[in-house]
Amino acid sequence: MSEIYITKGKLPEIVELLTGGNRVFGPVRKGQYHEFSLLEQVADLDLNCRNTRLSPKALFHPHSELMFQFTLEQGNPQSGILKEVPKDFSPRIVLGIRPCDAYALKLDDKNFVSDKFEDPWWVKRRENTTLVGLACNDPCATCFCTSVGTGPFDTTGLDALLVDLGDGYLLQAVTAKGQDLLENLRSAEPVPQDAAERVAALKKAAEERLGVQFNLEPVKQKSMIELFDAPFWDEVQFSCINCGTCTFLCPTCWCFDIQDEVHKEQGERIRIWDSCMFPLFTLHGAGHNPRSQKLQRVRQRFMHKLKYYPDKYTDGIACVGCGRCVQHCPVNIDIRHVARLMSESCSCPA
Amino acid sequence: MTDWEPKIVAFLCNWCSYGGADLAGVSRLQYPANIRIIRVPCSGRVNPKFILAAFRQGADGVWVSGCHPGDCHYIEGNLYARRKFTLLNNLLEHTGIEPGRLHFSWISSAEATKFAETARKVVDAVKAAGPAQHFIKKQAEVA
Amino acid sequence: MRSYTEKIREAAKRLLSENRVDAVIGFRRGTVALMNEPCLVKNADQVDRLYWDSNCGVNLANYLPKRPDRVAIVAKGCDSRNIVVHLLENQIKREQLYILGAPCHGMIDRRRILADLHGKEPLEVEETDGRVRLIGRDFEESLDREAYLQENCAICVHRNPVIYDELVGELVEEQQNVDRYEDVRRVEAMIPEERWLHFEQLIAPCIRCYACRNACPLCYCPTCFVDESRPQWVGKSIDRTDTRTFHFLRAYHVAGRCTDCGACERACPVGIKVRQFTKKMEKDIKELYGYEVGLNTDERPPLDTYRPGDPEPSFK
Repeated sequence: MSEIYITKGKLPEIVELLTGGNRVFGPVRKGQYHEFSLLEQVADLDLNCRNTRLSPKALFHPHSELMFQFTLEQGNPQSGILKEVPKDFSPRIVLGIRPCDAYALKLDDKNFVSDKFEDPWWVKRRENTTLVGLACNDPCATCFCTSVGTGPFDTTGLDALLVDLGDGYLLQAVTAKGQDLLENLRSAEPVPQDAAERVAALKKAAEERLGVQFNLEPVKQKSMIELFDAPFWDEVQFSCINCGTCTFLCPTCWCFDIQDEVHKEQGERIRIWDSCMFPLFTLHGAGHNPRSQKLQRVRQRFMHKLKYYPDKYTDGIACVGCGRCVQHCPVNIDIRHVARLMSESCSCPA
Repeated sequence: MTDWEPKIVAFLCNWCSYGGADLAGVSRLQYPANIRIIRVPCSGRVNPKFILAAFRQGADGVWVSGCHPGDCHYIEGNLYARRKFTLLNNLLEHTGIEPGRLHFSWISSAEATKFAETARKVVDAVKAAGPAQHFIKKQAEVA
Repeated sequence: MRSYTEKIREAAKRLLSENRVDAVIGFRRGTVALMNEPCLVKNADQVDRLYWDSNCGVNLANYLPKRPDRVAIVAKGCDSRNIVVHLLENQIKREQLYILGAPCHGMIDRRRILADLHGKEPLEVEETDGRVRLIGRDFEESLDREAYLQENCAICVHRNPVIYDELVGELVEEQQNVDRYEDVRRVEAMIPEERWLHFEQLIAPCIRCYACRNACPLCYCPTCFVDESRPQWVGKSIDRTDTRTFHFLRAYHVAGRCTDCGACERACPVGIKVRQFTKKMEKDIKELYGYEVGLNTDERPPLDTYRPGDPEPSFK
């Protein structure tokens, strides 16, 4: 796979080049924080952003998505027939996605693409998108990617990786899609001779800073029932207020609800993010709710990420260590603390 | 829009204002036909959600009317309603609903003339405000 | 602040070992800078978990409704006023409560500090003499504490708890001549269309996570109106009419009950200033009915009572 070098001064030109024939998305400052948005002008792109407030999952699985439309007009032969809403699947590039968030999309694939079923919109969006990652030279204090099977320079989920070398970016192709992208960028400079060493040094420094903050190996070995019944959940759940912040900011929370909305004789079917933190999430039509208590809902979130998912898919855990939930939980529930409790199964605080 | 006629939802209490409307009818008093009446037990029964629901479904105006203070069939229902709707009206206007969309009145079952007169005033005010622009729930504006 | 922590621990230990209460609700030190986590201490030998500093902005009254046991609770001015509201609304009984009043100096606005640090991350925080010293990996900065208070704390006029069984610190002097409604008046001065747009822009980033609702001690309804399905009052997507309906009705539901504790704004992951809705009602209730929320357990909340001569400017 090839690599090219882009000086910081040249970057806008390169991005401009990419916007020809592609929709380019990247971190854009919106008020107090950054969000992945379509770049309306190249200057909007802000690669100095440490990470976006909301994860880029919304580019593939929007908060609210129109699925179908229908009419209920009497006498209309089309009445009651669901019609797919056309969507834009033209090629797009996501610039500056962090390795953890890209890795998360891989994990989400497990849910949206299986042997039996495929979510067509997820699949098409994944196919039409080239992910150009930005390596983390400077991880946050709340980051823990190295503890959950990915890392600040992990290319697993990416098509190409940008590494900030100070005066410019090294752009490395990872997949064939990434290679195609690189081949279209002819205005590149020579790659500095010591680039590989500098990348390795940055990677080492970032990884060392992150360290390994907990070890989930014991959780894999432990029986699910034992963890389920562990006494520490009572302590973990106390402060939770059951808002959806953690799940909505999380790049690996994929749950959704489907709602039909009808206005006079026209209607639509919408897919909307849902959260296991909400009591309504599991409420049965008959009125029974298997997770009516806060403890059950809090436990579900952590067990799903750190136990059920690894047990079911046996290839890693459903958390990428982006730290969004740690940073933004209004009551400071820290998944790292919970992970330690789960692996130690002891109720004493860290 | 010269031929536009507003749709107005009126929540009238069973004991007074609905009676007033009834009497206006049997007395053959004229008032505009823009009003759709929903009979409620008491003005205190009207939940702010009802008013929002009416606006969301495209009402150009909402009118709540009950017994005069002191005459409530349930002694005090309208007195609670008075505080509830004063605050609701203030908050709605504060957040950008035009004045003239939401109306409140006290009309007894004997006050057919006041009913017809208030109905005219309400319709005129809503007409002056024009077709509703805000709070109307249409097809979801989502991706 | 250190002295508060010691007093809280001492009181918790005493109350638990004398079996005066079954548990103590307080804060423990957070895992990230400028955050603390609400915690429940059930044993006298765990009281060292309890902690206090200027990052205890979460309203602990949120953890009280329908508790069956006897609890001690650490309460700032606003928490104590919300306890009064709970007592008035029969969410808990006074006999169950032992209130450890914490006279408050205002809580720190973590989000504003982080915004002003432009990506630099504080790892350690120290508070001394009106300054907040932030220490990060390769920087150190000292900020004026007063300038970084939560917005509601900066205009708070009830910093002392209004109801308590014992204090964990000296009563503080209440702020005088505070203009609580400058921002409300600014919106009031706009024309309707501007006001509509003002709120439209305000709530545009909403992701309907309901953190504002759930962080609020007043939101304890068994089923919130947004979760009702027969009829469904409001859609669940981020359609702007639905988002507006949610914010409007949420705010209206706390009319005459809201103590402006700021928990809603503090919790919002996308930084919406939801107090813009609730403060208008606080102002009106004060002007129309002369009522301030949560000061008195003998007076009914303003929407649960009336006076024969209440003003009725909008009634025909």
